[in-house]
Amino acid sequence: MIRLKDQFQVQTGVAPPVTVGDVTVTPQFQAVIIRLPIGGFVWNRPTALLVEQNGQTTRFPIRDITRILLLWLLGFSLVLSIVSFIKFSRRKAIRL
Amino acid sequence: MIDTRTRILSLAEKTSEQSSALFDRIFAAAHSEAVYSKPVISGNHTVITASEVTSGGGFGSGGGIGPELPLSMIKKQDDEAAPHSEHVNGGGGGGIGGGGGSTGRPVAVIIIGPEGVTVKPVLDVTKIALAGVTVGIVMLTTFRKIWKVSKG
Repeated sequence: MIRLKDQFQVQTGVAPPVTVGDVTVTPQFQAVIIRLPIGGFVWNRPTALLVEQNGQTTRFPIRDITRILLLWLLGFSLVLSIVSFIKFSRRKAIRL
Repeated sequence: MIDTRTRILSLAEKTSEQSSALFDRIFAAAHSEAVYSKPVISGNHTVITASEVTSGGGFGSGGGIGPELPLSMIKKQDDEAAPHSEHVNGGGGGGIGGGGGSTGRPVAVIIIGPEGVTVKPVLDVTKIALAGVTVGIVMLTTFRKIWKVSKG
């Protein structure tokens, strides 16, 4: 029996730290892995940076602006389509 | 018959070898080196590129052996046309195939300098423009159809 846990995994990891002067930067990433008996799929993306300076650690999130804009565009078009469909249905109902 | 079986078995072995090689290539995208580039030093600044990586692939294989024919039947057929054959060969065949691909897109540029650490996002204007044009065309077509239906 194939378990879902073996087939679908979300892994969070860190890349080797980079030290420049007194600053140490540790990049973080998140990978979505799908393993199937006849193939596989991997989606790996950067998530954040851990910056260590003077004994303090700050987290800088890495935002994918392109993906955010694409999702906004998709959401906007979906909302517009639903609103226009509802308006059209109401107008049709009033006529009948 | 033995030849066919051997061929199909070797094909299965080949499939197993090729699939493990394919899996290695696909899952290499899950490592940190695929997302973050090696640091590039330019003057006082160190630059690292962060990219989104997508990789996928699949394969398939198939094989089969034909029905085993009785020796008498083969001999009967051979007597009429071809010379004698001692083997009862049902025949068979198989094949393997697969494919895969990967894409990468820069997401941000990390700059480490004397002024501190800055993360500069990378905007893919072409992708946004193409998506915008596609959405625009679809919306215009939908509105036109709605307008036509509501008028007529």
